[in-house]
Parts: sequence; C-alpha cells; structure tokens
Amino acid sequence: MQINLELMGPLVDYLPDSECGQTKMSLNDESTIADLLSLLKIKQRVAVAVNGEQEKEMKDLLKDGDNVMVFTNVSGG
Amino acid sequence: MPKGYTGKILHVNLTQGELIIEEPEEQFYRTYMGGSALGMHYVLKETSAGVDALSPENVLALCTGVVTGTPISGQSRLTAVAKSPLTGCIGDSQGGGFFPAQMKFSGFDAVIIKGKSPKPVFLWLHNGEAELRDAAHLWGLTTGDAEDKLKEELDDKRIEVLQIGPAGENLVNYAALISMSNRANGRTGMGAVMGSKNLKAVVVRGKQKPEIADPDTFKELQKWGTANLEATGMDGFGKYGTPSVTTPQDKVGGLPTYNFNSGTFDQAAEIDGVKLYKERLRGHERDEQNRFGRDTCFSCTVKCKRVTQIDEGPYKTEAKYGGPEYETIATFGSYCGVSEMDAIIRANALCNMYGMDTITCGATIAWAMECWAEGKLSAEDTGGIELVYGNAEAMVQMTEMIAKCEGFGKILAKGSRKAAEIIGRGTEEYLITCKGQEAPAHMPQVKRSLGIVYAVNPFGADHESSEHDGSYKAFPERMEYIGLTKPQEKLALNKEMMRFAMVTQHLFSAIDSLSVCSFIYGPAWQLYGADKLVEVVNAVTGWDVDIEELLEVGERRLNMLRAFNSREGIGRESDTLPKKMFKRPLEGGRSDGYALDEEEWERALEDYYRLCEWDVETGHPSLKKMESLGLGWVVAENEALSQVVS
Repeated sequence: MQINLELMGPLVDYLPDSECGQTKMSLNDESTIADLLSLLKIKQRVAVAVNGEQEKEMKDLLKDGDNVMVFTNVSGG
Repeated sequence: MPKGYTGKILHVNLTQGELIIEEPEEQFYRTYMGGSALGMHYVLKETSAGVDALSPENVLALCTGVVTGTPISGQSRLTAVAKSPLTGCIGDSQGGGFFPAQMKFSGFDAVIIKGKSPKPVFLWLHNGEAELRDAAHLWGLTTGDAEDKLKEELDDKRIEVLQIGPAGENLVNYAALISMSNRANGRTGMGAVMGSKNLKAVVVRGKQKPEIADPDTFKELQKWGTANLEATGMDGFGKYGTPSVTTPQDKVGGLPTYNFNSGTFDQAAEIDGVKLYKERLRGHERDEQNRFGRDTCFSCTVKCKRVTQIDEGPYKTEAKYGGPEYETIATFGSYCGVSEMDAIIRANALCNMYGMDTITCGATIAWAMECWAEGKLSAEDTGGIELVYGNAEAMVQMTEMIAKCEGFGKILAKGSRKAAEIIGRGTEEYLITCKGQEAPAHMPQVKRSLGIVYAVNPFGADHESSEHDGSYKAFPERMEYIGLTKPQEKLALNKEMMRFAMVTQHLFSAIDSLSVCSFIYGPAWQLYGADKLVEVVNAVTGWDVDIEELLEVGERRLNMLRAFNSREGIGRESDTLPKKMFKRPLEGGRSDGYALDEEEWERALEDYYRLCEWDVETGHPSLKKMESLGLGWVVAENEALSQVVS
C-alpha cells in the first residue's frame, strides 16, 4: 500500500531527500504506525494524525491512501 | 559557604543613590529558591496597595536562582517582577542568555530596585562590588549602540548588559528588558518600570563561579543531557528552534490568525521555522547555519536561538538583533495576516533595538487591524497608515512608531486594552487580552485547560505557566512522576484536566522560581523531566529536596503573585478570557467552528479554584492556604489584603 506522508517541523530531517518533509511512501500491508516510525528510524516520542484525526495509537493500522502527518510534541515557544 | 548561590542580595535605592548588601540565611533560599518567588518576597514587603507602577515607590526585583551560573543546560535565566504598567496587576517576566550567569559571577543573586534616580544612571556590578554610574550619554541609544558604548567605556568585551531601549525610556507599557541586544524579559512592561526609575542598564562582570556541592552527580547530569538530545527530540528543536512549531500549529487549527478569528493561516508555509532555517538564518547560502545562524545561552547544549541578517532593502536587519521565535512569527505574522518573513524579521529586530515585547506589540497591531477591518478605525485615526490585514509595510512602520511613541503609535504604546478605552466605538469587542495582557500564540479554543491558566494567571495570559493539554496523554511516564495518571481526551475541560492545569502550573511556577528554562526542564517534552530537575537542584546545593518540595515552592510563588492582585482588589472578575472566544466560532481549518461554552468554562474555573483552595466567590487565596505555605506574614503585613482574605 502507499500512503501520503508529511513530517512536520524538525522531523523533516528524517526525509532529507523529500520536498519539505512530504513524500509518498510504500508500506507492507497491515503496517501499523509503529512500523512506519520504525522504518523512518524515528526514536523520539511523536504525535501522529491520520486523515486529520489526531491522537492515534502506535498500534493503529494504516491503509492505502492514508494521509499521515507526524509531529513533535513540543508545546511551548 | 553557600552552594550554588552567592548569598548576597543587593538593595538599590535610586532616589538616594544608596546601595545595601543583604546576606539572607540559607533557609530563605530554600523557601523561595530564587527567581519570581524570591523577587515577590521583596515586592510584597516593600510596596503598598495601590502603588503606581511607574512611580518611584514601585519595586523592581531582578533575580537569578540557586542553580544559575552552573555549567549545565537551561540554568541561565533571570526573572523580573514588579507591578505591571500594562495590566495594573503583578508583572513577571523571564529571560535568558549570558547575563543571568554573569550576574551570578559578579557576586549577586538578586538586585532589588526602588526609587527614582534624579538623572539617568546604570548599575555596575563587578566581583562583589556595586556602583551607580552616569548614563546620560546612553539615554536615547538603541540597545546595540548602548551595549557597544558600555563595552568601550568599561574596556571589557565580556561584560553583560541588561538594559532598556528607547521604548523603556518612553514608558511604552510593554517595554522589555533586553540583554545581548536580542534576549528579552519581554512580558508585562518591566522595561517601562526600569525606565520610570531613570535606570538605563544593569551591567555585570565577575569571576565568582558558584560552588557545586556534589560535582560527580552534577557531571553525570550534564552527560545525561547531552546523551539524550536525540531521544528527546531536543537536537531537532535546537536546530530549527521554536519557529518549527508554526506549521504543526496550523495543521491542528491552533495557529492564531487574523487576531484570533481563525486557527489556520493559508500562508503558514511562508512563515514556517524550517523555511526560516533553510532560507533566512545567517549562513544559509553556504549551508552553515549551525555555525553562524544559531545562538545559545550560557552552557546550554540545545542552542535554540536564531540569528538572522538582511543586508539590504526595506527590512535590513543586523545579526546582533537575533531572529524571531515562534511567538514573534505568529503575532507579527499570522495574527496580522502577514506572510513576508523579512518583515517579521525586521519587526523582531525593531523590538530588540528599541526594547519591546514582541507578543504584545504584534498582537496590539493585529487588534488595530481587526478594528480597521470592522470599520472602527480609519486613516484619520492612524495618520494615513493603512492597517489592513496583510499589510507588512504598515505593520513594520507601526512597530517603530510605537517604540518612539509617535502619532497613532502613542496610543498603541499603551497596549490594546487601554487603546480600546481611549478609542471607544466598541473596539473592546476585538480584544484578545486577559487582565490587559495580549494572548500569546496558543489558542484556548483548542487547548482548553491552557485557556483556564491564561485566565487565572496573575500576570495575564501566558503560555509558559503550565503544560499544554496534549502533553498529558503524550508523556505518561513523566506525568506519573508528578502524580498525573489519568490522561483525558482532546478538548476535555473536566476536573482531572483542572488538576493537570494546577499541578503543571505549580511545576512551571517552581521553574520560574528556580529561574531555569522551561524548554530544558519540565513535565513533558523538555530535555530534563521533573525528576532530573530535583537531581540538579540537589547536586548543586547539597540539599535533599524532593518533587513535593519543589511543587510547594511553585505553589508558594503562585499564591504570592495572586495575593499581590488580591491586595489591589483584583480577583475573580479578572479571571476571564476575551469575549470573542465564547461568542465567535473560529473559521477554517481543523478548528473550524470551535468556540468555548461559557457555562462549562465557568464550572471548570470553579473546579480549579477549589483545587487551589481559593475562594470560589472572590478568587482570593484563603488564609488557610497562605498560612500553610508559610505566607501568613503577607496577610499580616498588608492591611488591604487582610480585608479580602479569610
């Protein structure tokens, strides 16, 4: 399956060849959010939104065509 | 011999030119720790109810904490407290850089300033000695120029200078204290208080490094910070800085836009932090931003400060004035509908040159822009300047006019609440102030417990006085350490979220009393969690504090701030959010249609009061609470307070 992935803020560095952290990504069927983060080698705690829905769990399954956004949890500034 | 602190507090009476050094007992430091709590001890002792914020009788306290100046990340912070000319409530503001550590090296933990000098002076602190010197030749200079002159005059490039700029001299109600020409104790108008005293600057230099009680543990804590930069994401935060939250805020509908009428800005990508890093930070042309475009505070490994430089054109900017934080990008950018990054960089530099708070300045201009859009202001009021949303040129021009108190800028220099009172015509409907202080760039409609803290915070809306809502669920291990084990769903405004608000508020209040950085120490995403904060305090001081003791210090400071307001007769009636947040649903993006429900919100406010043991009717701290925190003396010594606290 293929997802539309967008890494936000400092996470863009995990996709150095992408256009501002945005790319299409192929995943094995039945991949979870945890699988995606593992593939990206993101070790820090992040928040993930799928198709605009926030507060997703690491065990949640992704499906073909999902729009996935990954955020850091920084809340100050 | 004290560990961590110098044991010396300088009292300055500018009217008489008198300098007295006090050496408090160790218990005093353990009770207040430093920063805001320590400063409030003196403000409550030495001012009377009804004091005019810009009079000689107001007391300005500049305080470091017991770990300031030790070589570990996030400790070089200074807190300023005094009655605020912007709000009429207590004022409180934190700032970082190298000044706080150098002030400790100069031999003083804090400086308590009262009176008014007959002529402009600066205070020179060096190796345990203090003197007042003439500053007539510095009056009127921008911060960069004044700092250059002082370095030349004192023949020492390593002095650190905390100063007011022309905005502080002009008593702009939200004038800031500036160090390094780009670090600000920005909020609540502490620069105007210093200006009203004819004190241009405090200049520090010394070699008295604080002693550390347990150097081995301290070294381990230093190493832990460096080793955990990647795991906590603080390496990326350091690289891209606070501006990197701009786009994420926009995506979740939490980027205040058009004076808080929307949570999404269709040009957010233009003002994002990654773009700022790639296309504007100094050195970007050679991909050398890490070397030339980032700056830091004393001994901090995170290095999150921005350096920008524009060599030509209308927004020409010198590197010494730094670069914008997220708050500045939002207030001058999305609040005003402005997407030109160079204009934001220039407005930021003007605030640092003249010494003004970027949040209140940008938000006040945004308020005027909404008034313009609603037909309440016209070119006749503004002297021909078209304050239309998106007009970058007008935004920058107005920023400079405010600093100089020129034309319409003179009215906006009072802040939006007072400007609305002067202008009338229903313009108060568009205010985004709490207690007269403009809201920072996090939205109560989206972060609802934060909204309660905006309302109850004694010095007005503030985004660094509690942890933000989403962190409760996102950081369960760290939350458990401070007794928060029941994370709630998004937008919840129930009793557990009020407990989250209060407990994290106490922790942030302790952080502001220790005077450490809330990006480095905190209950959630920060580099060091609250457990490590306890370890740092103990390693430096040799004390045996635990988290409960630190939270109590935070609660003590919060109640001192609150008691100051109670003494002024300010209570529950001031604990409100701007009307528009209840009446006007947000437009567009993920938060489209969001508005607060007044009944639910008031119920949450009362839950919060009960948790704090404050009177639900009046909002004043109870006598029992004050006494349990060792603050019975505050009530006993202040008749006006004893009449409202029971």
